[in-house]
Amino acid sequence: MSAVVPPSRRAILSLYSTSLRTANSFSSYNFRHYFLRRTKEKFRQLQNESDPARIQSQFNEAVKELAVLRRSAIVNQLYGGWKLAVERTPEQPEETMTRSDN
Amino acid sequence: MLPRASRAALRRTGISRAATLSHGRRGFVQPSGADRASVMDVPSTYQGEAHFTPRSDMLGFKLEAPRREGSAKEKIRPIYLDMQATTPVDPRVLDAMLPYMTDQYGNPHSRTHAYGWEAEQAVEDARKHVADLIGADPKDIVFTSGATETNNMAIKGVARFHKEKKRHIITTQTVRSCKFLSKHSYSTNSQEHKCVLDSCRKLGEEGFDITYLPVQKNGIISLDELEAALRPDTSLVSIMTVNNETGVIQPMKEIGTLLRKHRGVYFHTDAAQAVGKIPVDVNEMNVDLMSISGHKLYGPKGIGAAYVRRRPRVRLEPILSGGGQERGLRSGTLPTALAVGIGEAARIAKQEMQRDHARISELSRRLIDGINSRVEHVVRNGDVNGYPGCVNLSFSYVEGESLLMALKDIALSSGSACTSASLEPSYVLRALGAAEDMAHSSLRFGLGRFTTEAEVDFVIKHIIRTVDRLREMSPLWEMVQEGIDINSIDWSQH
Repeated sequence: MSAVVPPSRRAILSLYSTSLRTANSFSSYNFRHYFLRRTKEKFRQLQNESDPARIQSQFNEAVKELAVLRRSAIVNQLYGGWKLAVERTPEQPEETMTRSDN
Repeated sequence: MLPRASRAALRRTGISRAATLSHGRRGFVQPSGADRASVMDVPSTYQGEAHFTPRSDMLGFKLEAPRREGSAKEKIRPIYLDMQATTPVDPRVLDAMLPYMTDQYGNPHSRTHAYGWEAEQAVEDARKHVADLIGADPKDIVFTSGATETNNMAIKGVARFHKEKKRHIITTQTVRSCKFLSKHSYSTNSQEHKCVLDSCRKLGEEGFDITYLPVQKNGIISLDELEAALRPDTSLVSIMTVNNETGVIQPMKEIGTLLRKHRGVYFHTDAAQAVGKIPVDVNEMNVDLMSISGHKLYGPKGIGAAYVRRRPRVRLEPILSGGGQERGLRSGTLPTALAVGIGEAARIAKQEMQRDHARISELSRRLIDGINSRVEHVVRNGDVNGYPGCVNLSFSYVEGESLLMALKDIALSSGSACTSASLEPSYVLRALGAAEDMAHSSLRFGLGRFTTEAEVDFVIKHIIRTVDRLREMSPLWEMVQEGIDINSIDWSQH
């Protein structure tokens, strides 16, 4: 059986940056952060892999996941809603409620 | 030149001030004199700046102008930390479901055309994913509408099928599914689940005998007590794998081994909180029936699954009769999209379980350490070795409900969603032997796959601030600071 030719370093890097960009395009805070973290972890794992066959299979997996992620990000942008309380910027200070009768 | 309206307003204020001065105090229903009626020339629609009429029920309090909500974009949502109630649908799950909500709308039970075949194929794939997650055979999985239906199906089904010879059922004091069988639903220790009270009455009338096993201090049942409670006419033992309020994990493997020794006793577990979060294997645990819920493992709501063992065969009476789908146990057309959703959720859960668990453990440690380092008198309810994604904390001298109200930026619950509408203390915590005041002051933090470190830090910051503020207002806290033992006080004074 012929040796598996692993994907080039360039192909992996390009897939990595596209995946990161897609993950970053989620409008929901939790999903965005989760997929950014997962993408980073996944490619870090790929970087430490030395077996060409496994690199190839992980690469193919990542290509498939990117397609899913792309569609999910679009749906999320369409229906994504309000910001979360953690995302509050300094310009939007937290409103404090006080009693009006004092 | 002033616009006409404001001129009129000026005139009006001048006149009303003069009127107040001359008449002294005016009541609300006192008629005005005819002389003053003639000067009210301002149109009735006009309302001046800060125009305001006090009503008699305001009792002298001022009112704030109603706060206007900005557009949807400006609105801020609270952080979601209630993963035991439900979890968000994973975007990957939704992506798998969407084709079956649009073009592939076939009925999975249609045998005569391609629409049916592709839907059936999708459902069978989903069944396989669910089965793989719990180490079962795909043929053992029955899709239902959720864990509540599965619990009903399993408990009532088995009990009714064997009712000629066996009329005894065992469950624990902290299992919620037991409620719908109890004929003692009014007794002090019953754990009422409001939504199923009706079916509980119904089956209670059928005269089943129910044993509620007490739990130990750490929430785990004692095997000796379980063995002692078994009777020759026991048909079913139902125990929750992971408790939804405290995260306590029962020793399922040991219980399963014990029950296997007794022939004819079926073992049911409500594993809605466990599947996809901790490793679950039906053969290792010797479970005969298991309830799984889709929306607790990042899947859609409205779908669940039952594991019903085929070898040795568990026989039960179906609740729904009809077309004989799902081995005749649950007739009715399967919702293809939802089934695909729970299948994809199970597949992802299996793939991510280890990573998720490690991360949730880390976040949970961060949360507990963060709160403990700054707030004293915090008690963690339940077992330390329980599921880390469920952190149940009691803040002494603070009422849980007031804490919840004050934490409007965090979506939390003080117990299970079924009891959160009432102010009663949690029955689960009472069953663990927690004092009433501690059960009252408990909060449940549910961490999940999508929780971030920033959110946990935000929660820690807010909890510390709010607990400090509420304790400052509390006379009890003041007494504790002065070194008075609260329990020694005789409150009645008579």
